[in-house]
Amino acid sequence: MKPLNLIALLLFLGGAAWALTRSDRSVREIQNTYYAAMAPFLKSGSAMETHARAFLEETQHSKALEAELEITREQLQGLYLMKSRFRALEIENEQLRDALHFKKTTRFAVCAARVNRRNPTTWWQTVEIDAGSKQGICSQLCVLSNKGLVGVIDRVDHGGDRSSVLLLTDEKCQVSARVENSPEVGILNGQRGGFDGVPMLRLRFLSANAACHPGQRVFTTGRGGTFQANILLGTIESVEKGALDSEALVRPVVDFANLGTVFVVLSSDS
Amino acid sequence: MFRYSLTTLLLLLAAFVVQQFLPAFTGIHHSRILLVQLVFLCCAVTVGPRTMLLLAFVGGFFWDAQCILGPHGGDVEIYTQRVESMHFGYSILLFGAMGFLMQGLQPLFKQGKWHFSALLSGIAVLLYLAAEYAIINFIRGDFVLSRSTVLQMVFTALLTMLFSPLIFGLLFLIANACDHSINPEAGRRRQRDF
Repeated sequence: MKPLNLIALLLFLGGAAWALTRSDRSVREIQNTYYAAMAPFLKSGSAMETHARAFLEETQHSKALEAELEITREQLQGLYLMKSRFRALEIENEQLRDALHFKKTTRFAVCAARVNRRNPTTWWQTVEIDAGSKQGICSQLCVLSNKGLVGVIDRVDHGGDRSSVLLLTDEKCQVSARVENSPEVGILNGQRGGFDGVPMLRLRFLSANAACHPGQRVFTTGRGGTFQANILLGTIESVEKGALDSEALVRPVVDFANLGTVFVVLSSDS
Repeated sequence: MFRYSLTTLLLLLAAFVVQQFLPAFTGIHHSRILLVQLVFLCCAVTVGPRTMLLLAFVGGFFWDAQCILGPHGGDVEIYTQRVESMHFGYSILLFGAMGFLMQGLQPLFKQGKWHFSALLSGIAVLLYLAAEYAIINFIRGDFVLSRSTVLQMVFTALLTMLFSPLIFGLLFLIANACDHSINPEAGRRRQRDF
C-alpha cells in the first residue's frame, strides 16, 4: 500500500473512532446543524409538492366537483342534525358520569400537525410533522391521532416548524402499558424487521400466567413520565406464555400507513 | 482530477437532498431507492482510495446525522431494559467497507466494463442492508429474520441497482466536463481501434 493511502486509511479510521465516541448531546448538535442546512431544501421541496397537488386538484373536472359539492351539502345537513343529537347525548353522559363519581376524562392541550413525509430510512420508523419549536413542541412529547397513540417527538428542528416523530411501531419507542379488565402491565414496543411486514407490537414482561385473551384492549398506564394515562394502543392478537413471563402480540389501533393529521400533547391535566 | 473529486463530493451531498424526497414503495415491501449509497458506490469505483475514503466518511457521517434516533426519555425505574440502538458513526465504517468492495472491480471498470460495477453496486447495497440488519439483531440479542425483511432488502438492492447506469452516465459526463478520464484503458483501446 502506498504511504499516502495508508495515512488516508489511518485518518479515516481515526475519524470513524471520533464519530463513534460522540456523546448523545454532541450527536444531537450535529443533527441540528445537518437539518438546519437541509431546511431550505426541505421547505422548497414541500412548497413544490403543495403547488403540484393544488395544480392537480384544479384540473379536476368542474362537473364532478359540483356533484361532489351537492353531496357534501346534503351530508352537512345530516351532520348538523347528528351534532345536535350528540350534544344532547354528551350532556346526558356528563351528568351520568358525575352521578357515578367517575373520574373525569383526561383532557390534553394539543397542537395539531400534518404529517409531511416519512423519513428516508430503511429500519427506523419516523415521520416528519409540520410543527416545531415555534408551536411549543419539544422532544419527548406524546403524539396522538384521533384513534390512539402514534409515538413520541424524537427531534425538533431549532427555530423551525418541523419535528421528527418516532412511531410506536419502532423498537426504540417503549410504552408502559396495561391490559383492560386485568391487573397485567408490561412494556410495549415494535420490532425492526419483524412480523412479516405487518406493524405489530410486543407487550412484554406480563406475568407468567397472565389472564389475557385476544381482543382485549391495551392502554397506556401513564407511568414512566412520557405518555399520559389511558391512551388506547391496540388490541391483543395472541398471547405466548413462557416459564418466567408472558408476551402478547398487539395490533396497533392507529393505521401507521395512512397518517394524516396528528396531535402533539403539550400539557395535560392528569 | 481534483475538480472531478470535488464534483463527486458535491454530487454525494446533492444525493442527500434528493433522498429526502424519494418515497418508499409500500407495494414492494416498503423498499426504497438508496440514492446516497448508490452515488457513493458509483463514485467509489471511479476515484482513488483516498478520495473514496473521504467520500465514505462524508457519506456515513451525514447518513447517521440524518437517521440516528435520540435517547428514550422515560423514567429508568419503569423502563428498566432500554432498547440499545446503533451508535452514531457506524455507517462510516459500512460505507468504507462498501467502497473497498467497489474498488476491487476498478480494473474492470477502467477497461470500460462498467456493467460489472453496476451489478456489484446492487450486491453491495444488499450486503450493506444485511450488515445493518445483522448489527440491529446483534445489539438486540435476538435474531429474527422474516421473509418480508429479506424481500425488502432484495427489492431495495434491485431498485437501487436499476439506477446505477444513470449515475455512471452522469459520472462520465462530469469526467468529460472536468477533462478527466475515469476509464483510461477503454479510451486508449478506442483510439487504437480508430
